[in-house]
Amino acid sequence: MSQSLRPYLTAVRYSLEAALTLSNFSSQEVERHNRPEVEVPNTSAELLLQPIHISRNENEQVLIESSVNSVRVSIKVKQADEIEQILVHKFTRFLEQRAESFYILRRSPMPGFSISFLITNKHTETMKTGKLVDFIIEFMEEVDKEISEMKLFLNARARFVAEAYLDQFVY
Amino acid sequence: MEDWRRIDIDAFDPESGRLTAQDLIPPYVQQTDPQAVQQQISQLKSFATSGDINSALQLATSDPPYGADDSTKALYFRAVLETLTQVRQADIANVVKQLQPQQQDVLIKYLYRGMSIPEGQRQGGILLAWFEKLTQVAGVQPVMHYLTDRRTV
Repeated sequence: MSQSLRPYLTAVRYSLEAALTLSNFSSQEVERHNRPEVEVPNTSAELLLQPIHISRNENEQVLIESSVNSVRVSIKVKQADEIEQILVHKFTRFLEQRAESFYILRRSPMPGFSISFLITNKHTETMKTGKLVDFIIEFMEEVDKEISEMKLFLNARARFVAEAYLDQFVY
Repeated sequence: MEDWRRIDIDAFDPESGRLTAQDLIPPYVQQTDPQAVQQQISQLKSFATSGDINSALQLATSDPPYGADDSTKALYFRAVLETLTQVRQADIANVVKQLQPQQQDVLIKYLYRGMSIPEGQRQGGILLAWFEKLTQVAGVQPVMHYLTDRRTV
């Protein structure tokens, strides 16, 4: 792991560990409802905690918004050029369409971010909190590698196709 | 009167028990005088230019302008950010060790605030180095305090 990535991931790990202390909390607005307070338009400010921003630079950020019974983690994946923008968009969209098999994945990212997770008290009750944090950290590590790998592959393929196509015009 | 059935009558009831973000700020946070903050900023800058990082950090973290308005807070924060970015990587650990737990809580507020605005994001690496050293000394405790504390810098 590179030197500058480690402090970034440690900061995310500590912040998540602190934020993932959730409890069961029924809605104060609607009877017999139990909804993630961070997601609904809220009239009671005491249910929301301070949002946490963690950023390595302008292109790589994490936003952790927490409330009494849910935490929303939004990740901005590094996108250096247009190819990476397309790749990140396709990749996160692929995951989001299969959100139900990832449990904590949110179907659409928060504006300005690439991908969002929504962790509620149901998740922390049925899964180990430490493992959830590990999963998000691992995701952040892997996604950068994955994107740059895809970019290399795409470039190689484009070069091969262009050569094969343009060969016809050489006499 | 259009659509009067949808009017939220609880919002008009002063005893409905709903709290706004303003209500949550503790009552003992006093209005800070902008002039006093200006003085603190100049003192902070003089500490920073003379290289006395320890005193600068002690000053910045012991009496943050909780009661000031947003523009004053932004001015003050800019001075703090400048101080934080001046410190050499090797010295950070020593400076952090000198802080009391309350001061650590204030420092982490500056770090999170820095990472949420563009000026600080450009210095992300330095702020993250501070964060790492702080968590090595104090663990998860300041983060927890940050989440629940309603006073902002």
